[in-house]
Amino acid sequence: MSISAKSISLNLGGKKILKDISIEVPSGEILSIIGPNGAGKTSLLNVLSGNLNAYNGLVSYNNIPLNNISIQERAYTRAVMSQFQSIAFDYSVRDILEMGWLDYNFERIQEDLISFQQEIIEECDIQNLIDQKFNTLSGGEQRRVHFARALIQLWQPLNTEDQKYLLLDEPFSNLDLVHKVKMMNSIKKRASSGTGVLMILHDLNLAYSFSDKIVILKNGKLVEKGKTKNMLSAKLLARAYETFISIDDNPINIRYY
Amino acid sequence: MESIKKLSYQSSLFFHFVSKKQTVYIISLCVIMLIFSILAITFGSYGLSIIDYLLGKTSQIQNTVLTEIRLPRVILSGLAGASLGISGAALQGLFRNPLADPGLIGVSAGAALGATLMIVLGGDLFSQNSLGIFFIPLAAVAGSSLVIFMLYFMTKGFGYEGVTYMLLVGIAINAIAGVGIGILTYISSDAELRSLTFWTMGSFGGVTWPLLLPVILIIIFSIMVMIPYARQLDLLQLGEPEAYRLGVDVQRLKYVVIMTAAASVGASVALSGMIGFVGLIVPHLTRLLGGVNHNYVLPGSALMGAALMIIADLMARTIIQPAELPIGLITSAIGSPFFLWLIFKIKKL
Repeated sequence: MSISAKSISLNLGGKKILKDISIEVPSGEILSIIGPNGAGKTSLLNVLSGNLNAYNGLVSYNNIPLNNISIQERAYTRAVMSQFQSIAFDYSVRDILEMGWLDYNFERIQEDLISFQQEIIEECDIQNLIDQKFNTLSGGEQRRVHFARALIQLWQPLNTEDQKYLLLDEPFSNLDLVHKVKMMNSIKKRASSGTGVLMILHDLNLAYSFSDKIVILKNGKLVEKGKTKNMLSAKLLARAYETFISIDDNPINIRYY
Repeated sequence: MESIKKLSYQSSLFFHFVSKKQTVYIISLCVIMLIFSILAITFGSYGLSIIDYLLGKTSQIQNTVLTEIRLPRVILSGLAGASLGISGAALQGLFRNPLADPGLIGVSAGAALGATLMIVLGGDLFSQNSLGIFFIPLAAVAGSSLVIFMLYFMTKGFGYEGVTYMLLVGIAINAIAGVGIGILTYISSDAELRSLTFWTMGSFGGVTWPLLLPVILIIIFSIMVMIPYARQLDLLQLGEPEAYRLGVDVQRLKYVVIMTAAASVGASVALSGMIGFVGLIVPHLTRLLGGVNHNYVLPGSALMGAALMIIADLMARTIIQPAELPIGLITSAIGSPFFLWLIFKIKKL
């Protein structure tokens, strides 16, 4: 089971954004996309999430072509956290969290929601923020709330084993050290319980110490993809980023100049 | 995926994400609206008592005043307030902009132009056709829909970046509609001019049941269609891509809100003329009172709009009794300072 993209090409406004890219986000694994600005990382994520549909190629969730899956069903299969804009009205953090709750039409939905929310809220360390207005939070706090919302979206009823996926665009931006580690642990926990994770990362050390697989994009093309240990090559990274790069193996430390 | 009981957001229970406090506010607004309605039916240049009517103690003429004049008037003012309130709330949600208002962005002006066209140029149609009375509301709805679709295409699907742009487009549309109405006024006959003048100032007077019935149907239908989309409007506040990722068919949501807002505003403008600022103020008051989630704001704005409009109309016809103030004058007098206050408060436009 996986979210997969087969030979995706995307043109926007006459510009070739993605050229013949195939990747797979298997369940239970963490896949990181790295690459310089303008490489097409976010566009690729938008294609995978179904937001962009003017592409050539095939996207499928759990082997079902995306076109055959309704917009609602897609929401049950994958949650996305991206870079956010401000919200026009004064929603509370609780309101924002509830937005991640998909409608399962259960009888006692409120209690179910509240107990599940409680776990996620503690996991994301946002207990103190819950009754504040979302727009008054700092950037890092807003990220944590949106991450919690994405986790709530991935909730599933007991005794079901649907494969779910988490797509994250720069999840750690604006986060302090402690919360970065907490969020990493949350993501690892999801992956080890079967969720497929795709992340766009700029911090190479984070990407290499944390992912099962790495995909390197540059100028809309796939440079290389593979298991993390096979991708740890200064030459390869230097080719992608066009700068001098050196690597210490133990512990992994990638330096760029 | 079969294991999941899937249901669209539309079918979620009505009070699903409404807090207890908000439920209380909605019920209170309901009660206040009913009290205002009774007051509005009772008071006026001709005193009436509902209790006497129910006990059968009223004269024939009193009965006629109550059922043929007072009651339709109160119903129309309530419906007009409800339609402007809920449309304002829904459009503000859709545009993700607290300054959107059916009047400001030209929707009311479009409806007015449509109705004026019908009054001045469609004169023969009324007299010769038994369906004639539906033509003014229909023309108004067509006018308001046209404006909203123009806005939609000019702002590239109500993109968030286009907020200032959208308001400027609204100003331009208002001006264009003003020119159209001006020209039509100029070429109209004396009789048409008279009905036009009273109509453009906004009034709930002179409404009759045959005129009112289609408007009741259109507005109630629009409100019933709009309210189940409340949660989708909440999700839209995260941005269109995010709403989509949470399972909202954004395109469909836009068309539903646009069409229902246009239909209900068009229908109310057709009978009562242009009533400014209600669609702007009412949703804000509702949010100040109880919160911003649309499951509460949409029905709350409809009820608050209805209550305020009923009491404003009562004031309009009792302050300088037996003469009558245009209702549009009262709402604009209260609404324009509020609008200024709102602009200062938001500032980031």
